Amino acid sequence: MSVVRILLQQIRRDRVTLPIWILGTVALLAVAAASVGQEYGDVAGRSGILRVALATPALLALRGIPNGDSLGSAVHFQSFAFLAVTIGLMNIFLATRHGRADEEQGRRELVLAAPVSRLAPPIATLLLGVVANGLFVVLAIGGYASAKVPVSGAVVSAVALGLIGLAFLGLGMLAGELTQTSRGANTIGVILVLGAYALRAAGDALGRADVTKITLEPAWPSWVSPIGWGQQTLAFTDNRWWPIALIAALAVVSIGAALLVHSRRELGESLLAERSGRATARATLASPAGLAWRLQWPALIAWAGGSALLGLVLGSLVTAVSNANIDNAQIQAILQSLGHTGASDMGRTLISAVMVLIGAVAAAAGVQAVLRMREEETEGRLEPVLASPQSRVSWLLSYVLIAAVCVLVVLVATGVAAAIGFAAVGQSDNAWLSLGSALVQAPAALSFVGVTALLVGLLPRIAVSLGWAVFGILIGFGLFGGLLNLPDGVDKISPIANVPALPTDDWGPTILLAVIALVAAAAGAVALRRRDLSA
Amino acid sequence: MTTVIQASGLVKQFGRTRALDGLDLSVSEGEVHGFLGPNGAGKSTTIRVLLGMLRGNGGSASVFGRDPWRDAVGIHRDVAYVPGDVSLWPNLSGGETIDYLTRLRGGADPTLRARLLKDFELDPKKRGRSYSKGNRQKVALVAAFARRAKLYVLDEPTSGLDPVMESVFRREIERVQGEGATVLLSSHILSEVEQLCDRVTIVRAGKAVETGALDELRHLTRTSFRVTTPATIAQVGKLAGVHDARVEADHLVFDVDTDAIDGVLSTLTKAGVSSLTVTPPSLEELFLRHYGDRIETEPAA
Repeated sequence: MSVVRILLQQIRRDRVTLPIWILGTVALLAVAAASVGQEYGDVAGRSGILRVALATPALLALRGIPNGDSLGSAVHFQSFAFLAVTIGLMNIFLATRHGRADEEQGRRELVLAAPVSRLAPPIATLLLGVVANGLFVVLAIGGYASAKVPVSGAVVSAVALGLIGLAFLGLGMLAGELTQTSRGANTIGVILVLGAYALRAAGDALGRADVTKITLEPAWPSWVSPIGWGQQTLAFTDNRWWPIALIAALAVVSIGAALLVHSRRELGESLLAERSGRATARATLASPAGLAWRLQWPALIAWAGGSALLGLVLGSLVTAVSNANIDNAQIQAILQSLGHTGASDMGRTLISAVMVLIGAVAAAAGVQAVLRMREEETEGRLEPVLASPQSRVSWLLSYVLIAAVCVLVVLVATGVAAAIGFAAVGQSDNAWLSLGSALVQAPAALSFVGVTALLVGLLPRIAVSLGWAVFGILIGFGLFGGLLNLPDGVDKISPIANVPALPTDDWGPTILLAVIALVAAAAGAVALRRRDLSA
Repeated sequence: MTTVIQASGLVKQFGRTRALDGLDLSVSEGEVHGFLGPNGAGKSTTIRVLLGMLRGNGGSASVFGRDPWRDAVGIHRDVAYVPGDVSLWPNLSGGETIDYLTRLRGGADPTLRARLLKDFELDPKKRGRSYSKGNRQKVALVAAFARRAKLYVLDEPTSGLDPVMESVFRREIERVQGEGATVLLSSHILSEVEQLCDRVTIVRAGKAVETGALDELRHLTRTSFRVTTPATIAQVGKLAGVHDARVEADHLVFDVDTDAIDGVLSTLTKAGVSSLTVTPPSLEELFLRHYGDRIETEPAA
């Protein structure tokens, strides 16, 4: 009975979170289905684009394996791997939220002090996972149905996704048995999900394509990934069920192992002991900048690593686009608008467009680093720092400095990765162009850092929400403003809309952005100097 | 004697709440000054103004003769601070936090650091997130004491410590006082302040209501007696230092000034005692008795 009570309480705690995950993922599927139906409604268009994809390892790595040219197959190819990642993450966070996090926060102790068996909470979580993933399967079948594709294929694809979800629920529970902190459990879980995606990305990119039948025999790495197994269902073409049995087996084994470990371990303990920290600090941890770096570099590695990966495949993408001779005027116009250029060379246009995107990623890394200041202030960790002979101005500028370093590291890493990618296929022109195009994003990205620092100084209480809102709106305007036929001044409001495509003679806006970044940061420091510290 | 901290008529307003309402405070060099008051009386707000975290709306404040808002950095060269609510960086170890905070002031004295870790029985390798409240407080205390300062500002530093650790803390206060440092120690526990402090300022509702040497404030600290004895109320009532004597059922009930306890006790023993309950005065009783006001109605700071 206690299992039911715990389950109801878990459902109540998740009444907002889980519906957002499930409906959001289903919406992703419905949108993908609708757009594929609209853009490649006819078989000729679909088989054309799928053949381009088969010849482009970067696209295969991103999406997965095509199998046939029916509408359902195209939707499956377009969306399956992404949906699997989303549903995997949903289950990892679910497992941690009701598992290790409860234990870490001491809530589990309260529950277990009642006449409740040690296994009741994880079994309740397991039931919650079954309900959530089951609901997703039903809704996903509906999402496919909205595109009028065969139900048999929709069922295979959706059931595979739901079981991938349960497999990651088990792996997430197991991660919670391994580590002592919810942060650690989530980290392991996210690595497992992204690892499963990356393994099949590598396997699919290295696979043997069969262009006439429009299919792909992936290389071995895809076979060690549950997402790779899900793709092997070849939904809408062959509708194979045996890969689904494979996923189900993984779910059963991982959930069973997690429950077994859980039944044998003491409350608060974990299979891996928590690594103890250093008894003394490194020499670099002697100033606010040293601390800001210490706190920020793990996130920076994720930002820079992710965007560098995109940079690395840029060469392969550009080659494919050039070889495919796409003379779709609409696609060209979109790319030109994104890349702020009127150049007719699709390759160069694509480089500009991707680098504007990377500029937005770099700005996000910078904004996140700057907003750490507010975290320090609200958590009460700023007070002891400012009670030392440390001025507020230098404290704020230290965080701005580290944020600027983050921006530059993302841009340089991506530029260099892209250059290596192009150099590898002998396109040294494009290598230099992509390095330059990455670096020219710096002033625009830094202007976000400066403005966010100003918000921290001037409007501390709403700095975090306002900072991300300003970021989101301006990036949105910058990326898509050109497509909306806005009046001239308005579409240039966003910093990233003012980044020139290289080569250029007009450096005015770039210099102006750099000045804005500096002035805003300085104004933020002055504003912080003049206000009370606030929670 | 030089004045280290001076505040007069200090006012701090948060929206409509008046957290400080003309507060006066004076701390001289070399003294351990108790800053006593119930929760929400304005102790932490005063400390934050004195450290330049908040800016007063009225009155004046100075530390080492300097303006804490305009010259915070200069003042802080000689200040060690333990906040009332200690929050640590979750993924930094205690040792790293101690090193970081002391290095901001110029670096820890290594022998002092090692001894403090041992005396406070603190494992410096644990991460911030896994320390209990008491251990977080110890991290902040070690960081404050591991580098010598001229002024120690300690905001309810013992609230998470057990009695053994409280005595370690008292030894450190005695050490820094011996080294000539000044200490401002806020607390809401009367007995703690009695043990450690030379002078005391009592605050309530953002104002200083009493200030002076502890001896001068002896009248504040009366002990309640509840006795069953053949002695009469007239006999006991006329003794020096006895107040509010009355009869309740079979008992004789009265309050005694701390320095008169000895005399009262010997009189009672001579007369014979068959039951005796002695209660030290709580801060709450003190406020009720002297300021005739309920503490629960205090505005929160």
